[in-house]
Amino acid sequence: MNKHKILAGLLILVVVLVTGWVIGCASNKALVTEKSGAQLWGENCVRCHNAPSPPAFNDYQWETIAVHMRVRASLTEEEVQKIVEFLKMAN
Amino acid sequence: MKRYVLEIVVIGMLMGLGLQNGRAQDVAAVQQEVKALKPGLSRFLLRGYAHSGFERYEKDNSFVGGSFNPIFLWQQSDRLLFEGELEVKLDHGSTTIGLEYANMSYILNKRMIIRVGKFLIPFGIFSDRLHPRWINRLPSNPLGFDHGEQVGPAAALGAEIRGGAPLGASKINYSVYLINGPSLNDGRENPQEGGRLHFDNYEDNNTNKAIGGRFGFLPFSNSSLELGVSAQFAKVGDENTAYRDIGARLFALDLSLVKTIAPLKGIVDVKAQYTMTQVDDAQYVDPENPGQAYTFKNENVAYFVRGTFKPAFVSNTVIQKLEFAGRYSVLTLAEGAAWGGEKRQWAFSLNYWLDWRTVVKFSYQYTNSPGAEEAEAVHEEEGTPLGGAFLVHWSFGF
Repeated sequence: MNKHKILAGLLILVVVLVTGWVIGCASNKALVTEKSGAQLWGENCVRCHNAPSPPAFNDYQWETIAVHMRVRASLTEEEVQKIVEFLKMAN
Repeated sequence: MKRYVLEIVVIGMLMGLGLQNGRAQDVAAVQQEVKALKPGLSRFLLRGYAHSGFERYEKDNSFVGGSFNPIFLWQQSDRLLFEGELEVKLDHGSTTIGLEYANMSYILNKRMIIRVGKFLIPFGIFSDRLHPRWINRLPSNPLGFDHGEQVGPAAALGAEIRGGAPLGASKINYSVYLINGPSLNDGRENPQEGGRLHFDNYEDNNTNKAIGGRFGFLPFSNSSLELGVSAQFAKVGDENTAYRDIGARLFALDLSLVKTIAPLKGIVDVKAQYTMTQVDDAQYVDPENPGQAYTFKNENVAYFVRGTFKPAFVSNTVIQKLEFAGRYSVLTLAEGAAWGGEKRQWAFSLNYWLDWRTVVKFSYQYTNSPGAEEAEAVHEEEGTPLGGAFLVHWSFGF
């Protein structure tokens, strides 16, 4: 079990170092308010699955799916509102 | 002549009024029809997924019935959502129906959602987000994430507060929950299982409740990287037994990185999770020597690293639908326990996406157990069979 604790410790160290590095050096610091719904759709939906095709559902279905995804993926309210508006416009 | 002109003008005006009136009536009729079709605040949506396939092990091969998982979404208002998922499964010749989750979510404010019922536990990311068959890029689950050899919770009964918030250009998400928690098999009925944690504790075995949570941090503004840490603490022994004060601590670390690599004209997706459970020391009936007790250090670990590459931006329409996936996973169960041991698995898959949510997976995996004398080549009741296996699955999200 010691090797697992060492591995866990290394992973935590890597996480801390990477987090500190990216906070300091990340060049793209655009806020959600500056991003389009299409951009947020492309960035967030692919975190778990392929980006959904807008014509797959109608406006009302997208509104329900958006609430579901806000809960399941812990998306922010701002992101969900913009993504839904994009999907409704593009479907 | 003037009279005829006047008559023509009057008739023309009357016709125009008639046409206008008819058009207005058409518009009103269409508006009424549209209004009738417009859903109210209460909305129902059926979604879900299904999978089936063919599996070939060293001495056994079969078409497998797979499963059908309908997801019921009921949106009662802008703030209130019900979600429920069933799993209808054909397994070893019989059909089983299980309730994966059923819960109600209420959006309290911009940053906080309360959820109650049976819900997928945000312990790491696999069980909570990646387990659906059309999202899991390989036909099998990583070691330690299947019934029978599960390390860490998947779903539980309880209440949760969760949400997400921007942090400058970065983002966080969080979850804190109170649930029945895992239960300890003390081995009195089956000494072979003494010391194992079970996570299907739907009627709590004691008065203690497990508390836990997950914190996720997305440092980049494009949300390409997410780092998560999870923990859960509980007393797990049956009430009114010698094990009532036995405690357990569960920890998990997870990583998700999804990035478009322009020179490769594709998307790289890396997922990783490390899970560890610790149970307090206790004495259990020795299955080798009934009437005697034994003990062991009850620590269990499961971890995996999975990478995929999808050349989604190449010009060839066949190649752009391909995806290459590889995964390494390890399961280490308490050394010294009757159910202890270690398994390691390499798995590779070539996937073809028919559309964004329908995929055919052609996979090979090899599972070994260090110290095992020979590979078991038939399906076991629990756990992943050892040896090599070819699996072809189709998975369909809807």
